[in-house]
Amino acid sequence: MSALTVERALALCLAIEIAIFALLGSNFVTLQNAGEIIRASAETGLLALALTPIILTGGIDLSVGSLLALCAVVFGMTWADAGWPIPLAAGAAIAAGLAGGALNALLVARLQVPPLIVTLGTFSLFRGIAEGATAGVRNYSNFPDAFLFLGQGAVGFIPSQFVILLAAAVAIWLLVHRMTVGRTLSAIGFSIDGARHAGLPVARRLSLVYVLSGLAAAVAALLYVARLGQAKADAGTGFELTAITAVVLGGTSIFGGRGSVRGTLLGLATLAVLQNGLRLSDLPAELAGVVTAVLLVAALGASRAFERDT
Amino acid sequence: VTVPFFALVALLLVLAAAAPAFFDPANLRDLLLAAAPVIVAAVGMTLVVLTRQIDISIGSQLAVCAVIAGVLAKSGLPVALAGLGAVAAGALIGSVNGLLVARLGLPSIVVTLAMMVGLRETLRWITEGIWVRELPSDFQWMGLGQDAGRFVIPALALGVWAASSWIMRYTSGGRAVYATGSDAEAARLAGMRPKQVVFWVFVAMGALTGLAALLSAIQFIDVQTNSGVGFELRVIAAVVVGGTSIAGGRGSLTGSLLGVILLSTLGPALVFLGSQAYWDRALQGLIILAAVTVDALRAVASEGRGPGLRRR
Repeated sequence: MSALTVERALALCLAIEIAIFALLGSNFVTLQNAGEIIRASAETGLLALALTPIILTGGIDLSVGSLLALCAVVFGMTWADAGWPIPLAAGAAIAAGLAGGALNALLVARLQVPPLIVTLGTFSLFRGIAEGATAGVRNYSNFPDAFLFLGQGAVGFIPSQFVILLAAAVAIWLLVHRMTVGRTLSAIGFSIDGARHAGLPVARRLSLVYVLSGLAAAVAALLYVARLGQAKADAGTGFELTAITAVVLGGTSIFGGRGSVRGTLLGLATLAVLQNGLRLSDLPAELAGVVTAVLLVAALGASRAFERDT
Repeated sequence: VTVPFFALVALLLVLAAAAPAFFDPANLRDLLLAAAPVIVAAVGMTLVVLTRQIDISIGSQLAVCAVIAGVLAKSGLPVALAGLGAVAAGALIGSVNGLLVARLGLPSIVVTLAMMVGLRETLRWITEGIWVRELPSDFQWMGLGQDAGRFVIPALALGVWAASSWIMRYTSGGRAVYATGSDAEAARLAGMRPKQVVFWVFVAMGALTGLAALLSAIQFIDVQTNSGVGFELRVIAAVVVGGTSIAGGRGSLTGSLLGVILLSTLGPALVFLGSQAYWDRALQGLIILAAVTVDALRAVASEGRGPGLRRR
């Protein structure tokens, strides 16, 4: 009930945002611009979608931005230095993402170390490896056009990332809201001991969501490299915070148990429209951060108030 | 505390054998100088983590407080008052965090995430990214000579650490921090006020960040407006490596000091050992993971299970 109310409030915010920017911005209400908004938010969108089931279990993954950088560097190195063809290099990047996710999964699910600490450690480790391997400065570029189409191309006004983002959204939605796995994730979030005593496969489900997050980071890395045309160790800096903000804004409780994929998508759209609209309205870009901060605290306070009512 | 202690001893032994030049007093002094702001902030973060909270806004707080100190000094205030202004600004920001977390019961990780983004962007908006330049000559090193300044900054940091250690161990306020983190309800029933404790811990975190900002700003000619990015994670990493439990109630300032020294020695040590400094961050990550893994394995061995997920 309360989650739905938060979603409604957020949808209202989004509508107000769009109305304001439609008045102030030039070329804001165009299909072209809608495509641009999706293009700009595809990578953080993938990360936020994968973070939703993690936060649903009461966990967190701070390492996704760093893992994105590591996967981007692996992709660049295997393609440019080792001379692998693009599909094989992409496979290597995805393998790196899965391995990174598996390391988080091992420590969180098997050794039961708090996820905040585990992913704080891998946050440093993943970017550290990317920096070490590239000596901090190497920048891979000159990727073939067929690959860059993934990040820069469009069919009509629909950017190519849209297909991947849509597929990910549907997959995560099915997982969280239409499968028993999703119920298990909520149960873990409400009470991990309760879930264990109920005989649920807690360790396996936790492993699944952290490995999925690694996979999302790898795919996001490919989209990132294709969009900007370069792979460097500083890729995706701060993406984890944007992704977490989108999820929490969407009404998913940071303590776990409650949350929705629809909320995450709404949160993501609110952030993306805000940034895009401010730019097209010639307003200072810094306003985005300030408004986001206020929205975040307001969303929390609101869901807290609803909790007290029910 | 054992993991960072042995890691530090091992690192120092390797350095003594392979690169004795590392132990040059001037080098050690520079190392301590760079670590001083982190030590001060780690004291505050230890208190925050002990009460089962977290503050990821201190990197942005650091930037804001440094700019405030710089602007105040530039307006003609004596450097002591400018420093006081930075500490007061930090305490004020901390009290907002504290109110939202302790009074309204909002999760600290999200409150301080909002504070982190909000402060950083507001600062960039107001300063437009322009550094505070042409500071009065008495700002750098607090108007002391360079040698005296280089001595005063680490001395101040270690003084804050020593005083806080004493407070945490021997005063009722210090014990209340531990009690609140172990079991807030039990602390309340024992006549303490956990909400007050959490509020004041966030205020202390802000004030100490203000001091850290001052200690770091006076080491340079200009005040950068974009300083402190990633500072919060460095500090949290040092506290965690130092053995303070993220589940609250367990940990010590001695451990945090060791954590800071270990993590800040690593980068320079790599350079002295002839390796690339680029691997610094990867090693820091490894040390964090090693410390928590050893901790978890020990917990599994003694209780048959680990500390579990972080819960409120």
